[in-house]
Amino acid sequence: MFFLNLSLPEFLAILGSLSGVVVALYLLDRMRKHHTVATLRFFAATEKPPVLKHRRKLQQPWSLLLQLLSLLLLLLAIAQLRLGSPVRYSRDHVLILDVSPWMAARLGPNRLIDQARSAARAYVNALPLADRVMVVRAGVLATPALLFESDRNKIQVAIDQTQPGAASLNLQGALDFARRAQRVQAQRPGEVVFIGAARIPNEEAARLDPPPNFRFIPIAGPTEHVGLRKMSVHRAMDDPDTWEVFLAVKNYGSAPRSIPGIVNFGGAPVATRRFELAPGVEQSFSFRFKTRAAGWLEARLATQDVFRQDSRAILELPPRGVAPVTIYSAEPDLLRPVFTAIPGIQANFLPPAKYDPKARTGVVVLDHFAPPSLPAADSVWLEPPANQSPIPVQNIQSGVKLNRWQADHPLGVGLRARDIELAGAEIFRPAPGDIVVARADAGPVIVARPGQPRMVVLGFHPVRSGMKYQLTTPLLFANIIRWMEPDAFRSWELTAGAAGTVDVELEAETDPKTVRVQTEDGKPLPFTIEGKTLRFFTADPGIVRVLTGDRELVYSLTLPQPGDAVWKPANVKQGLPGRAPAAPLSRDIWQWLALAGAAGLIADWILYGRIDRRGRTAKGAPASESGLPWWRKAS
Amino acid sequence: MKPQPLIDSALLEKLERLAIRWQKSFPGLVGGHNISHFAGPGQEFLDHRQFHHGDDLRAVNWRAYLRLEKLFLKMFQVEPRIPVRILLDCTNSMTTGGISKFDYARKLAAALCYVGLVRLDTICIQPFGEHLGDSFLCGGGRHRFIPAVNFLQGLKPSGRTSYFQIAREFISTYPQKGLLIILSDFLDDAGCERPLQYLSDFGHELILVQVWASEDRDPAWEGQLDLTDAETGETLEIGFDAAARRNYVEAFDAFTRDIQRVGLRNGGRYVGVSTDTTIEEAVFGPLARSGGLE
Repeated sequence: MFFLNLSLPEFLAILGSLSGVVVALYLLDRMRKHHTVATLRFFAATEKPPVLKHRRKLQQPWSLLLQLLSLLLLLLAIAQLRLGSPVRYSRDHVLILDVSPWMAARLGPNRLIDQARSAARAYVNALPLADRVMVVRAGVLATPALLFESDRNKIQVAIDQTQPGAASLNLQGALDFARRAQRVQAQRPGEVVFIGAARIPNEEAARLDPPPNFRFIPIAGPTEHVGLRKMSVHRAMDDPDTWEVFLAVKNYGSAPRSIPGIVNFGGAPVATRRFELAPGVEQSFSFRFKTRAAGWLEARLATQDVFRQDSRAILELPPRGVAPVTIYSAEPDLLRPVFTAIPGIQANFLPPAKYDPKARTGVVVLDHFAPPSLPAADSVWLEPPANQSPIPVQNIQSGVKLNRWQADHPLGVGLRARDIELAGAEIFRPAPGDIVVARADAGPVIVARPGQPRMVVLGFHPVRSGMKYQLTTPLLFANIIRWMEPDAFRSWELTAGAAGTVDVELEAETDPKTVRVQTEDGKPLPFTIEGKTLRFFTADPGIVRVLTGDRELVYSLTLPQPGDAVWKPANVKQGLPGRAPAAPLSRDIWQWLALAGAAGLIADWILYGRIDRRGRTAKGAPASESGLPWWRKAS
Repeated sequence: MKPQPLIDSALLEKLERLAIRWQKSFPGLVGGHNISHFAGPGQEFLDHRQFHHGDDLRAVNWRAYLRLEKLFLKMFQVEPRIPVRILLDCTNSMTTGGISKFDYARKLAAALCYVGLVRLDTICIQPFGEHLGDSFLCGGGRHRFIPAVNFLQGLKPSGRTSYFQIAREFISTYPQKGLLIILSDFLDDAGCERPLQYLSDFGHELILVQVWASEDRDPAWEGQLDLTDAETGETLEIGFDAAARRNYVEAFDAFTRDIQRVGLRNGGRYVGVSTDTTIEEAVFGPLARSGGLE
């Protein structure tokens, strides 16, 4: 005999509280009532004066006992008192189904997930009917599909709706989740059952710690498999039109394999390679190819394996950005070498007479020229007329020595030339908010004005001055164009990998405030930065963009990664359990307890309730000589 | 806030067609509307008797003298003006019950007073408790009804009942016999039967109107009761069940029968009304059927 719903202390506490309330209400109801009457003569004249010598607190003890007994029976019904042994009754099991991508592999006509679902159904059918089962889908996250439930139909639906995911299996996480679920939610913990192929990384297999109540039902999958582990693409440092491609291929099987691989861009092959792979070996391959066009870069392994999701990876290469630069100069030949030396721009030289103030794209360079109206696009002013300069000119000095750069600003990054002799230069008077890029002893000579549009004003002509042969000159213009058109200089890195947790190494000068991580449709994705490592997580396959200033990393998380090895635990229960006895060892009696309790309350109401019997007494004969039924005499 | 009138105008209109009647013949001055067996200066011939010295010569039947040569005196019926006295119980026992018996009795007294005033009777409202209180005398028409109502509304119940004391004081205070309407619950631990009999024997015609509340006759309580007498303050602890209730009702009914017997014994009348009955039903029902009003 045991309680299913309440523990004994809980039962006793509730019973005590309710009994106290009932007794208090009873005493309150049965206590003497005070009345003022016109005369006492008729009360005193009753045939048998019922004056009590001693006051009794409980005037109708049988009524109170009946109420308390009924209350006890009802509470026992609520507590679900069961007759029998609680040993085999209602254990709570956690059923973990492997939903790693590997479960989509076919072995014969069925996928591995189909086998896992069949095994799960067989396991549930082998359990006693009262046992409850929680269904957990284990990918990179352990996701409960059904909380502890004894309804076999609901369990069946949860099992049937389980499909392979895109992220790798995190078995230790799933086991920890099951352990916590049993500790927090289960009444009588049963087994933690894992059903799946259990392909996990080698290092995780070594430290895996299954719980003592663990049961493992393995799903045998294909043994031989070769797949792509990683594919990444980035522009070459020496040539922005060249892409460097990196491929990694792994042999997951136990036999050596020779697998040809091919990389296509826009449908045309750009590289081929035959991978000679020993068992368990990962081989990488990198190559370069040149293109300015955008298109799809596809890597494919010519394999006939049953799991083909990782034999192909595709990355979308972006077009190379070009920043249009319009130079209004009467002497274009002076500036032509400077701008042609900067990759990623398209220079267009025009005489000042063709100045178009409506141009809104690109960068406008004004050489010794002040237009009647300010340009709408970003502009670079080279030695403008002193009275028409957008930055007020303080004075014009000759023999100026440029000796300081604003190195902590993107405009001055990498500029370290000192003591540059300038024959003459305009000394500016910058406004608050202006950025002094270069300064001479007499004052600012290069000033930038942020905002829209952006503006940089040089108080001297870099090609006519002593900077003509300095490396600083093209670097300065490159910095200016990069500051004004950052998209044209954005560096790209594209990586194909698996969904889950992704670590990204940031550059040393990356400002964490400028970092953004967003999905393909622009929604922000939470991330953390620890040191120079950015970490984000996604369980769904798709494209994630990491933007760090002028660097963009694109992760195409569509390449599944099977585990390195199949986990084969020792000293744990394996396979399906034996079928449980058909009949439970304990029996429900709460229905009868509830009926008995209700009957007791009804009987108390009939026997002792405040029913107005005066009419009945006046009309007909009394039930007994005294006018009371025999049971009322007891009290 | 304006006090609630004891009787509404609709009921007053209905009361105008009633009159207070009594059965006994009382001597009194001309002006009433009940024929008396006492001879007097009336219009209706009553009888002849021998002429005695000092009789009024105007009443001598001279025709009989011429024929018989004896002096006979003609006697006439009179309709004397008889005072109607209403004894109103103002003790604490009248305050018990869901509907106050005291209020109910005041309304009944007001109704009877109005009926009497309309018929030009002289009405004396005499409240009583342990002793007779200050009375209120009115007569001469319905315009004297408002002072009577004010008097009734000014009454407060207090004290206990002592019918022996009341009877003694009443007899000594009002030597003229007449109609005596007693509105009371007649609950006197010393008993009220004998004092009422004294009043009747003295020559008054009694109309006993017993007012009771429903819980006076059939208390709705059950279980253990702490009871307090409203007049004496005595307490009683009892267990009250169906059997006790039955005994209680029987005792109350026996008491009522005793009161009724006293009332009817000497040509009086008895009316028992519950406070659950409306004033109109009480007046046009039991009171009218008893012959006190017609």
